Amino acid sequence: MDIIVCIKRVPEVAEIDLQVDQTGKGIQDEGLVFGVNDWDNYAVEEAVRIKEKHGGKVTAITVGPAESEDVVRRALALGADEAVMATDPKSEGSDGYAIAKILAAVIKDMTYDIILTGALADDDGYAQVGATLAELLDIPHATLVTAIEIEEKRVKVKRELEGGMEEALDVATPALFTIQSGINEPRYVSIMGIRKVAKKEVATLDLNAVGLSPDQVGAEGSLIFVEKIFPPPVGEGAELLEGSPDEVATKVTDIFQKGGVI
Amino acid sequence: MDFLEKYELYACLQCGKCTGGCPVSLRAPLNIRSLMREVLMGGSPEVALECPGLWDCTTCATCTLRCPRGLEPSEVIVGLRGELVEQGNVPKTVIDALEGTFKHGNPWGKPRQKRTEWKGDMAVKVLPDEGEAEWLYFIGCAASYDPRLQGIPRILCRVLEAAGVSFGILGTKESCCGNEIRRMGEAGLFEELREENTKNFNASGAKAIFTMSPHCFNTFSTEYELDGFKVLHYTQLLADLIKEEKLTFSHEVNKKVVYHDPCFLGKQHEVFDPPREILRAIPGLELLEFERSRERSLCCEGGGGRMWAEGAGEGERNSETRVKDAHAMGAEIIATACPFCLLTLEDGAKTTGLEEKVLIREILELVAEAMGFDNV
Repeated sequence: MDIIVCIKRVPEVAEIDLQVDQTGKGIQDEGLVFGVNDWDNYAVEEAVRIKEKHGGKVTAITVGPAESEDVVRRALALGADEAVMATDPKSEGSDGYAIAKILAAVIKDMTYDIILTGALADDDGYAQVGATLAELLDIPHATLVTAIEIEEKRVKVKRELEGGMEEALDVATPALFTIQSGINEPRYVSIMGIRKVAKKEVATLDLNAVGLSPDQVGAEGSLIFVEKIFPPPVGEGAELLEGSPDEVATKVTDIFQKGGVI
Repeated sequence: MDFLEKYELYACLQCGKCTGGCPVSLRAPLNIRSLMREVLMGGSPEVALECPGLWDCTTCATCTLRCPRGLEPSEVIVGLRGELVEQGNVPKTVIDALEGTFKHGNPWGKPRQKRTEWKGDMAVKVLPDEGEAEWLYFIGCAASYDPRLQGIPRILCRVLEAAGVSFGILGTKESCCGNEIRRMGEAGLFEELREENTKNFNASGAKAIFTMSPHCFNTFSTEYELDGFKVLHYTQLLADLIKEEKLTFSHEVNKKVVYHDPCFLGKQHEVFDPPREILRAIPGLELLEFERSRERSLCCEGGGGRMWAEGAGEGERNSETRVKDAHAMGAEIIATACPFCLLTLEDGAKTTGLEEKVLIREILELVAEAMGFDNV
């Protein structure tokens, strides 16, 4: 079972006071810490678990700036066998469709049984790349996958539905699955583990090597344009409590008591 | 060198002093004597990795300090955790602590930009950008980020300013000391933190470091190679200032206070007297002693990564035992000099329902009272 897993380098934004950058269409990334997209981490873990059980090869692919090498190296340390990084300044500003075009161009000559991606990305959260990539490769796909069972030439997967329901599917390979978080418990990747793969080759491809022209990627090759990024206007009904932790706790319990919660 | 040789397991007498002194062996499925034997007989650490009590060890090092053969059973635990770390097979809460430290420089995974949030609007010199200083004050992760603790470094800064001590901090460049990281088995990450902190210490221009946490103090003293740096725990610095009469207390604190020795300060470094000297210098304060004090102090269970690993132990927590003992002897306050002890003991006070009868205080909080500080 040969598996391709597509991963993305994203900023860690929890508890950070994000600032909109000068263009008004992005965020200031100064001082931000980057790492692998959380959903993609589950996808890499799932790919490695399938390989450990059924044999085969796992290839991790990322599209992004040169710094993205960190996330593919981490995937190698987690258990991926090969890594590919498609990086080219001309690809900057690509939307999900353009990113999927780059991934499809990288993947089209590779042999694989299944492709895994994260269900969506921590940063822009479009959830587009997986499904679009499957369409471009003309293979079936299932989104929000919470379990994968491999059978010969077929894969049985479960999908998360609304209302607490699940859906079981039987899918012919090759196929693409976008992985929901919680499908597994990703293992820890140690610093020693990352050091051990420091010399492993990461195939680095520019646009030319991928076989795409500049007009197929970046803003020109995209269908969606960001007009602006902004913090939503402060709405009504929210109250910010101020004071020491004790004072705030007292205010909260007062509100709960008045509202009949406790 | 294989695992058995590295930890000299062939030399173990199986005398059992390690397990006899272990503060968690009575409440957790961890028998370090037996574990050492199992690894020796099995010929590799593999046989011990399923031991459910591996994450109960607090690395208080009582076993290591009492071993008649000079072996280091607590380091065997660290080594076994290291095997699990390299397999990636560690509890989720430990993964979060390790990844948080890798990304943000602290095991709580809080943003680096907020590392100096504890200061509020207090002016504290950041070294070397804002000048020179004799001492570098290493705040530590817990006091930097935990709302219960953030006021304590502010007190220490005010105390030192009053005593005329020249000091500065690293600001947002300060990263986790790595003491707990190494004890959770992440030797590689510990090395990176040691390298980064050492580089920043050297660049700071200071020639001496003091810490608030005994855990930072321990690793800087024994696991870093800080040539030419003096490393002290703040209680040592304050005790010296009191002796030199640079620090005096004007207000009475009329309380019965029992001092709890943190393992990484007391039994591991024999810093028993400086904290007591500070407390004795406070007018009105009556200092009591636990039956189990100094080298026999009962571990609070906050060390060795236990802040991020619940462990498999059941029954009464040591912190609860400690609070009950304090109450029984008539103590109104347990004073300590470690952020982890403070937090675990405070939990113990809450869960025993003695929260209002036995207060848990950092020594510095009593010093603030004795100096008449308001708004601390």
